[in-house]
Amino acid sequence: MRRFFRRNAAGYLFLTPWLVGFFLLALGPILASLYLGFTRYDMVSDPRWVGLDNYRYMFERDRRFWKALEVTFTYVALAVPLRLAMALAVAMLLDKGLRSIGMYRAIFYLPSILGASIAIAILWRAMFGIDGVVNQFLALFGIQGIGWITTPSTSIYTMVVLAMWQFGSPMLIFLAGLRSIPRDLYEAAEIDGTSRPRQFFRITLPLLAPVVFFNLVLQIIEAFKTFSSAFIISNGTGAPADSLLFYTVYLFNEAFRFFRMGYASALAWVLLVIIAVITAIAFATSKYWVHYENERD
Amino acid sequence: MKLTRRTLMGSAGAAAALAAFPATRSLAQDRRVRHFWWGNPTRDERTFRLIEQFQAANPGIRVSGEAIGWGDYWTKMATQTAGGNMPDVVQMDHGFINEYVSRGALLPLDEYVGNGLRQDHYDAGANDVGTIGGKLYGISIGSTSQAIPYNQRIFDEAGIEFDPLTWTTDDFAAICARITEHSGGAVTGSEDLSLYIENFEVWCRQAGTDMYDADGNLVVSEDTVREYWEFWGELRAAGVVEGPDATVQLDKGMSELGIVRGTSAMTFRYANQVGAVQSLMTDPVGAAMVPHRAGMDYGHFVLPSMFLAMTRDAGDKDAVIAYINHWITAPEAFVTLGLDRGIPPSELGREALLPSLSDVDTRVIDYFSAIQDKIGPTPTSKPKGAGEVRDNFMRTGTDVVLGYVPAAEAASRFIEDAGFILERAR
Repeated sequence: MRRFFRRNAAGYLFLTPWLVGFFLLALGPILASLYLGFTRYDMVSDPRWVGLDNYRYMFERDRRFWKALEVTFTYVALAVPLRLAMALAVAMLLDKGLRSIGMYRAIFYLPSILGASIAIAILWRAMFGIDGVVNQFLALFGIQGIGWITTPSTSIYTMVVLAMWQFGSPMLIFLAGLRSIPRDLYEAAEIDGTSRPRQFFRITLPLLAPVVFFNLVLQIIEAFKTFSSAFIISNGTGAPADSLLFYTVYLFNEAFRFFRMGYASALAWVLLVIIAVITAIAFATSKYWVHYENERD
Repeated sequence: MKLTRRTLMGSAGAAAALAAFPATRSLAQDRRVRHFWWGNPTRDERTFRLIEQFQAANPGIRVSGEAIGWGDYWTKMATQTAGGNMPDVVQMDHGFINEYVSRGALLPLDEYVGNGLRQDHYDAGANDVGTIGGKLYGISIGSTSQAIPYNQRIFDEAGIEFDPLTWTTDDFAAICARITEHSGGAVTGSEDLSLYIENFEVWCRQAGTDMYDADGNLVVSEDTVREYWEFWGELRAAGVVEGPDATVQLDKGMSELGIVRGTSAMTFRYANQVGAVQSLMTDPVGAAMVPHRAGMDYGHFVLPSMFLAMTRDAGDKDAVIAYINHWITAPEAFVTLGLDRGIPPSELGREALLPSLSDVDTRVIDYFSAIQDKIGPTPTSKPKGAGEVRDNFMRTGTDVVLGYVPAAEAASRFIEDAGFILERAR
């Protein structure tokens, strides 16, 4: 035990700020929300115990709950693979050893920092509006654009495009992964006359699999939690016609516009379970496609 | 850890500093009042000016103002209510006040009336809507009524002559067609008001009932809702009102309105907002009544445009009362505020205002006087859940505007959902 601590003391020391934050700031509210999920609580009067009513209502009667799930799953299914593909493509471009690579990395990372900001969400609304830049561009080719955000069948895609554009953090991780692939493998492949696409599928992708997996899990979790951009772009309501009713937007509305903190807490726990299940599935499948270099197969 | 002189001194010092902290706070000279309102650029500017005047007249009280748009206002307020840090004074609306009173978030003002808060100069009944369960919670700071602001230049150029008070929905449709035709389609007659529940309330009363009865039950009929959406559907099909893209954006900011952007000639607002619309455009803006359906009543009513209310988190209550009292009694306050928050509900206020009226103010006051014999009684404040019903009206209406659901089906769904929302909010 003593030895364990002596060996790991430095690690825990570095973790301290996070641990303190977690135990003091996060754990309490998390446990409270578990309790509140079984109550009716309007945030002003005291919570009243209602047992499983919130969960029963959610699954049996709440149409908007199912709509929110539909929107969120559609988004996750589209945004995560596309963002990862984008991140990998850019990472491979940057892996070519360009001059002033640091600058390019910074430039490509920028959207990810800005993307979560309110300003970009507002910019997005202006870009994809009926008189927006996108339509002005299309008009050059004689195409009459639509209001991309105000048309329910296309609004979700504007969010997916925004997600693709924010490829920065998985890109950096991919870049690090690419750097660790031994160059001599490619040299050997070149000598054998292996084509570039084949090199990608036979060398790059298999050796990058652990990194892909890591990014996949992180991005899935991230995508389920998408909030601020959806909130701004849909004016906070999930409009038009609930086509941007992301789960978190719905949760926020229930809690802070309609004073149903109890119900919103229940929604939060259902989201947690959903994310946990999906992540568990990802882990379960990973043993079929993720191989670690130091592993024997 | 070994106790040393240094650590001992250190912790003693820290303790002393901590102990001193609350003392410095209570010793502070300034009494503070936080005031939160939903606004627009003109209103915010006026309000901050009023705050300065109040501070000059009441040294020792500092007022900090916080302004935000209507759409975000209620979200932020709910968050602050939950956090137990509501501002001391908030602006309330007749659709929401009951929601907050019933949750115990506002304090009754009765004990201050005649004791720091003057109210005897108010018009009879002006504070009825702000009185809930026999107690006064909301001080009316302005009366208003529904209105259709219209661009007078576009009307003149299209050669339109109409009676802005007695016109009917048929006249309205004909005018929309005329304007669209005259401009070659560049300007439509009106915004599509399908999602404006405030406009629908007039339509509702024309048919004989309000949306809610005095006990807060939903009493509007399915037919009334269907006819409303059908009416706008026909105008949309004819292309004489704005298209779906502009329509389905909820709670647009004033600068995004078709009338301000020059893409349409009419919209819906409360009369007190006509001045703010005017401030964003150069063409003169006139005010007309919401057109009535031939053979039916006008459906208009006068209502308090907004209230000032004291919250349960108010700190220095006497300072709060002094601040509210300044709003409703100081002549300079009326001049500063103008008509932006409505027509002052007291002779004192109206008289103070007279010398400083602008052109648009005069038009609004004339409008307000002209409709006086065409209005019905003010409805009681709305039941808990009314805010969510409003959301649902816009959401269901969006389906109609986009052509997903026929008006008849949407109307029946709205009635069912609204009933359910109210029941759940109880």
